[in-house]
Amino acid sequence: MIWQWRLSDMKLRTKFVLPISALVMVCMIVLAGYLIQRQSESYHRELESQGETMIKILAINAESGVLFESPYELDPLLSTLSHFSSVEYCLIQNLEGNIISHIGQNHIPLDTLQVLRDCGRESINLVSDYIVGREGKELFVLVYPISTEKKVMPRETLGMTGGVDLSLTQSTVSETIGWIELGMSVESVEQATTHATTAAVFLTLIVLLATILIVILIVNAVVQPITTLVEATDKISRGDFSTIVQTDHDDEIGQLAKTINRMSASLRQSRNEIEQYNRTLEEKIIERTKQLDDAQTQLIQSEKMGAIGQLAAGVAHELNNPLGGILGYAQFTLEKLHKNIPDKTTPKEIEGYLRYVGDIELQTRRCKTIVQNLLRFSRSSRTVDFDEIDVNQVMGGTIAFVEHQLRMNNIELEVQLGTDLPTLQGNAGQLQQVFTNLIINAMHASEQNTVITITSRYHHALGEFGGTVEFNVIDSGHGIAQENIKKIFEPFFTTKDVGKGTGLGLSVSYGIIKEHGGEITVKSEIDKGTTFTVILPVQKKEQLADISKDDNSDGEQSV
Amino acid sequence: MAKILIVDDSKVIRDLLTEFLGELSYQVDSAEDGAKGLKMASDGGYDLCICDVHLPKLNGYQILTELGEARGKMQFIFTDSLPDELADQIRKTTGFACLGKPFDLHQLTEIITQSLEKIHT
Ligand SMILES: Nc1ncnc2c1ncn2[C@@H]1O[C@H](COP(=O)(O)OP(=O)(O)OP(=O)(O)O)[C@@H](O)[C@H]1O
Ligand SMILES: [Mg+2]
Repeated sequence: MIWQWRLSDMKLRTKFVLPISALVMVCMIVLAGYLIQRQSESYHRELESQGETMIKILAINAESGVLFESPYELDPLLSTLSHFSSVEYCLIQNLEGNIISHIGQNHIPLDTLQVLRDCGRESINLVSDYIVGREGKELFVLVYPISTEKKVMPRETLGMTGGVDLSLTQSTVSETIGWIELGMSVESVEQATTHATTAAVFLTLIVLLATILIVILIVNAVVQPITTLVEATDKISRGDFSTIVQTDHDDEIGQLAKTINRMSASLRQSRNEIEQYNRTLEEKIIERTKQLDDAQTQLIQSEKMGAIGQLAAGVAHELNNPLGGILGYAQFTLEKLHKNIPDKTTPKEIEGYLRYVGDIELQTRRCKTIVQNLLRFSRSSRTVDFDEIDVNQVMGGTIAFVEHQLRMNNIELEVQLGTDLPTLQGNAGQLQQVFTNLIINAMHASEQNTVITITSRYHHALGEFGGTVEFNVIDSGHGIAQENIKKIFEPFFTTKDVGKGTGLGLSVSYGIIKEHGGEITVKSEIDKGTTFTVILPVQKKEQLADISKDDNSDGEQSV
Repeated sequence: MAKILIVDDSKVIRDLLTEFLGELSYQVDSAEDGAKGLKMASDGGYDLCICDVHLPKLNGYQILTELGEARGKMQFIFTDSLPDELADQIRKTTGFACLGKPFDLHQLTEIITQSLEKIHT
């Protein structure tokens, strides 16, 4: 159980190498064992047959030597055995057990040999056995009878054969006359076996190593791409879709790699798309939120303006008559004072009266301007005529109008008007009012010996109808505080002293630019300066006509 | 001497114009609303009517249109205390001058002289 779990837990490489190596090893051991066994057996058989051959040859050649019990004949015979390293000893005995000749040392205790010898004496055949001698030395001992041929007379033979075969006049009978005993050393056999075993073990090791090497190579060839794949998929699973599995295989693994590449590519694409969607969505949300904000601000602004407009209309209506009276009477009085001076008044008094009434007239005119400005908020004041105008020319006129004032304040004017400005539909008087207010505002904000820059240029196709014209009035004055930026377009917002500004200039300008379908914006930094930008669309005639139609229908209700 | 009719709901304007124009030796009458103004104008005899646009009962434009043929050679000068659609319509369609209040007396006298000249040509 634990082993199984471990096997399944092992790395692929180990999983392949271990069992295959084990299998190869077992096979090799079994095979080598079997081969060694066979080899050793065949060595033994060889030894045995060698011994047999030798002993039989010796027995034949020793016949006469034994018959005559002549060591002189037997000794040279046995000495030929010394050529064979495997022969340990050899002895020849007669029937009485006396050793006639011998070679080598008999290392085997006699009692161990006795049984074999007895057997050999009894038998007419070869008797052999392996016997462990002194010092643990193993010997292969053979015992073989030496026999001689005796010619037997037919008489004697007839009795034995029953006289059946008369043609056999004489026959031979072999008679044992001694024994020959040969001891052969098993050492060489054992040595050969040991050599074989060593070789087998060596071979086994080599084969095993080679197997392991080959298996590792094969497994590597299989596992390496798999490892790469595993690493790649791991990266992909962690969100790194840029991974590309390099492969030049065309097999299943190569196909798997290609599939993974395709998968990661499509994942990458999907993620990019999702990110793209997210980004566009975010951008859209931001854009829409801004639009909503803008719309809301504009709504609030226009509601505010609407309310102011209504109020202004009412106020104007009520104020203009008394103002008319005041202005008229002041002028009337002035005229009268000029024409017929009452007798009793001194010239000095007259001068005083003239100044008083003159002041009344002047201030009434101021009031008139204020009320007129106020009225611009009223919807009913929108019905101004639009003509084909050259805005650069309008700006030029404005500049000529304010230049004197600027010079008095030691403020330089730098004018950079674009030369390619087209004409557009607008009201020159109103636009001049806007420009005048912007320049005067800049002048009020500027220190002496500074420059006010006025630029204009044409943006070709920015607007929907033939582009836009942009005007900038740039000063390096005291700037506008952040919290005031939002308020400057509101009516009656002013930071100027009472009497110097009414706070209507920019709100009127705003209304005028809106009527022209344009934009007026401001960029300001405290103590660095302010830039007012007016953008007017070119060619909006049709739309303006629509607006005036709407105004007419509204107007009938308001009267 | 030319006869001038003033139609205005504002007393101070009526008084001012009556006195001022009287001083310039015009013969001046006045009415304080549109209905009265129309009646006096149609009764005839006036060379010029200085008429406010925004009037009770009948507005200045209505007086002009109601008069129709009865207007004869009588000229009109309109005044308005509110430059709204009505005033604009009058400026665009009638061919008569329309002065925004508060108006300038010198400008008014100039326009009166011009208007009266039209009668004689
Ligand atoms: N170029 C400018 N630099 C610094 N502040 C400015 C500039 N233009 C406008 N402002 C600020 O905006 C306020 C509002 O300007 P706006 O023209 O509406 O009114 P005003 O100039 O105060 O009065 P009016 O124009 O009616 O005489 C100003 O009082 C001033 O505080
Ligand atoms: Mg201003």
